[in-house]
Amino acid sequence: MKLIYSYLQKFLPTLDVKPQQLRDDLTMIGHFTNYFEEIDNEIIFDLDIKVNRGDCLGYYGLAKDLSVFYNIPLVTSISPEIINQANNNLSIKVNTENVNRILAVKISQLQNLNSPIWLQNFLKYHQSKSINLIVDLTNYIMFMYGIPSHAFDTQKSTDSLIWEMNSKYTDFITLDKTKLGIDKKILMINNASQPLSLSFWGGQECAIDLNTKEIILEMAIYKPSVVRQNSRQLRSTTEASIRLEKQLDPELIPLAFNHLCKLVLQNCQGQISSSFFEYYPQKNIPTPISFDLQKPSKVSGVEIPQEFSLDCLKRLGCIISPTIDNLKSTILITPPTIRPDIILEADLVEEIVRFWGYHKIPSDQPLAYKKIKDITPKEIFLIDNLKDKLTDLGYDEILSWPLVNNPSDLSTVITTQNSINTESIYLRQSLIPSLKRQLDQYQRYKLNQPQFFEIGKIFFKEGDNYIEKNSLAIYHHNPEQLKNDLQYLDLPQSNKESSFFEIIIDNLSKPSEYQPKTKHQSAYELQSQLIILDANITFDTIQDSSQLIQKYTQIIGPKYFWEMVITDIYQDETSQNYRYTLRVSYFNVDDKTAKEIHLKTFGLI
Amino acid sequence: MDDNLEKIKSEYLSNIDSLTTDEQYEQIRIEIFGRNGKINDLFSKIKDVPPELRKQYGADLNQLKTELEEKLKSKNIQKADKLTTGKLTSPIFGLPKIGHLHPITQTERQLNDVFIKLGFSLYSGPEIVTDEFNFKRLNVPQDHPARDMQDSIYIKEPEYLLRTQTSTIESYLLKVHSNNLPIRAACPGSVYRNEKVNRSNHFVFHQYQAVVVDKEISMKDLIGTMDLMFKTLYGPDVVVRYRCKYYPEVEPGVGPDMQCFSCHGSGCPLCKYAGWIEMGGAGMIHPKVLEMAGINPQIWSGFAFGMGLDRWTMAQKNIKDIRTLMGGNLAYKPNEK
Repeated sequence: MKLIYSYLQKFLPTLDVKPQQLRDDLTMIGHFTNYFEEIDNEIIFDLDIKVNRGDCLGYYGLAKDLSVFYNIPLVTSISPEIINQANNNLSIKVNTENVNRILAVKISQLQNLNSPIWLQNFLKYHQSKSINLIVDLTNYIMFMYGIPSHAFDTQKSTDSLIWEMNSKYTDFITLDKTKLGIDKKILMINNASQPLSLSFWGGQECAIDLNTKEIILEMAIYKPSVVRQNSRQLRSTTEASIRLEKQLDPELIPLAFNHLCKLVLQNCQGQISSSFFEYYPQKNIPTPISFDLQKPSKVSGVEIPQEFSLDCLKRLGCIISPTIDNLKSTILITPPTIRPDIILEADLVEEIVRFWGYHKIPSDQPLAYKKIKDITPKEIFLIDNLKDKLTDLGYDEILSWPLVNNPSDLSTVITTQNSINTESIYLRQSLIPSLKRQLDQYQRYKLNQPQFFEIGKIFFKEGDNYIEKNSLAIYHHNPEQLKNDLQYLDLPQSNKESSFFEIIIDNLSKPSEYQPKTKHQSAYELQSQLIILDANITFDTIQDSSQLIQKYTQIIGPKYFWEMVITDIYQDETSQNYRYTLRVSYFNVDDKTAKEIHLKTFGLI
Repeated sequence: MDDNLEKIKSEYLSNIDSLTTDEQYEQIRIEIFGRNGKINDLFSKIKDVPPELRKQYGADLNQLKTELEEKLKSKNIQKADKLTTGKLTSPIFGLPKIGHLHPITQTERQLNDVFIKLGFSLYSGPEIVTDEFNFKRLNVPQDHPARDMQDSIYIKEPEYLLRTQTSTIESYLLKVHSNNLPIRAACPGSVYRNEKVNRSNHFVFHQYQAVVVDKEISMKDLIGTMDLMFKTLYGPDVVVRYRCKYYPEVEPGVGPDMQCFSCHGSGCPLCKYAGWIEMGGAGMIHPKVLEMAGINPQIWSGFAFGMGLDRWTMAQKNIKDIRTLMGGNLAYKPNEK
């Protein structure tokens, strides 16, 4: 969400902190602020609002939080009292229980215009398009208070509006002319003969334009789960749906709606031409919470004065009263309606601790060691033990995709229902195909004589049950050596000679404990094939092979050097000299550079 | 076999048996199989054998070659076993091959070391899980907007899915051990999200979860323990801030951010100009989560935190593409520890 500093100050006129400080403070109290930027002399912040804080999807809610944090007054110039109205009743019906509150009024004799520059800019900074003055004002109020509203052109919609679950329409055309297929699960605003609006997106049929003279203006809050479900079903997300699918405060509607009416009347010269319609079947009354004043200190681990806690709760708008049993430190807290996320004592504790400041909790006092019964499942010991033994034998560990494109056995394969990676929809039933793919990859990069293993889950279906097992799969380029290694690992061997081996390890005997080795080993992302070059070097005496390799390895250096082996040693009959052929693999380097390094290293230039 | 070949064979078999040093090994290998060695010499004389015997001679010679090769190879294996781990085969000589743990396993073990020293057990759980353990027991009921935070891969919607977070292991842990308190457990594991695979995103990645349930556990314990973990991973000078963050399974929720190692807090493209990099999520275990596991939150409290391992591991190993970690072009130098 975008937040313009100067508009925040409309609610917090005494706010005077540097933008960087505001960014950090917002972040620390839970509204992660990615960055701020200055555009046209406006400081604009970019915030991530938590999913449980629908109230902060408007300036008002954020200002309320900041007023607590900075201990400065929250100011609003608008009265929540109903403004002057006419006697005509609006013909509105609500035929669904999915509406929490509606406030609506008819305004006539309007003169709709293009929006003034300030409003166009405001919407632009919020990445919203300016349409015309009436529509833009509804959006302005949505950004300011976090509650969407909608205007219907009565010349197109008629005076009668019905809130209902869709019962007869199959299509709906939105304001931007998108045609959506709709069914009975969709909450709609209709008139007697046509669909007018979704709960979160207006319709083309009654769109406001510059010729609009009369509107019904409404602001409504619905059951969040219905809006959320509708938005998902129609694969449509709007600024309104983002807000309406969160828990919003119906008690805030009068303030926001009056502000909207006032702005429309001021800017479009209209007149209220109906009485206010209100639908509010079940008033939102927060439940008091029993609160132990010592709890913030206990939970945070630092002393938070009770006076601070009480002051903080008051500033949040909580009503504080003593408990019936008069327990010394326990009080009853009734949270404000704008904070439907506060329902438990733990919620109150979080409020107090976040305003107290997480940074005041020391970070240098970790848990002390405590002897507790070891509940480590024994297969973890077995897996660690196998990994260590295999790496000791020279095998590299790999990890592969648990989702694969070809099932080993169609009758037992488990298929994912909604994987967007359509080429990989089956859960693997064996690790061998993954090892084969890895081998292909290694061969593509010309890796010499790879030997590697994987320990991971394999999956299959048994009747209606989903089974997963831990499996070990090994590849060695030399089947005979693999056989020897399996013997060393005390694993059963197959009679068939193969470079691949796989076994489910869940049934193997497990060590009662095992302390794995901690290793810090390098790993490389190969960007290109290894470049393999030979060098023949002559010595008059036989050389120690290890020392010879180490000597040239050091000369080449680690940046491009991959591996070196001696592939031939030849003694010349005439000179009696020894000629060594060294095969060197270079990595992440082009041919030309590899050759240059090679020639230089072995003095072949 | 021709008598002469038999004689040569027994002579060399005996010589190979008596080899004791690298140098002797190399000398006899060259003597038999070198460019000017015995086998090539015998093959070059095949033209001198009468035509009617030439076929048999060739077969005998090949048999001799194979037997001597095998003898030498078996000697090689025995010799190499003493030296290294038994991997000297076709190259005449290479340094001993060293096996490597996958970088993710290395990171997990680094973290395991920290937590085992604090008395933690290790714990694991299933990867195919139910909605109950992946969401409901973590205080995310049906239709809760928090479900949008994770795009799940379903096996059988809405009941069975691939776990989306290691907090799911925590659900199983708390249920199984609710009568076995206190608990300290660390749970590394792979998790799944319905994301397109590309350079930056994968449908499977790795997380590390730590869970503590005990009496009088506080945020101070949580923040201190997390700080210890970050200092172990990133060194003693790492700067970490702890801020308020929302996760349905914890309250108060905590978001650890590490000061950007690239710009040191001034803002750069890596940290999206925030100066900080998000390092995971944490918090005090929500009383509802404890209650659902049958643990009385009036007596017991606890903390949990989880962090992704892939990005940290990639940064540590200078890996740019997340696909490299899973069956990609990740490789290890054969002799590099």
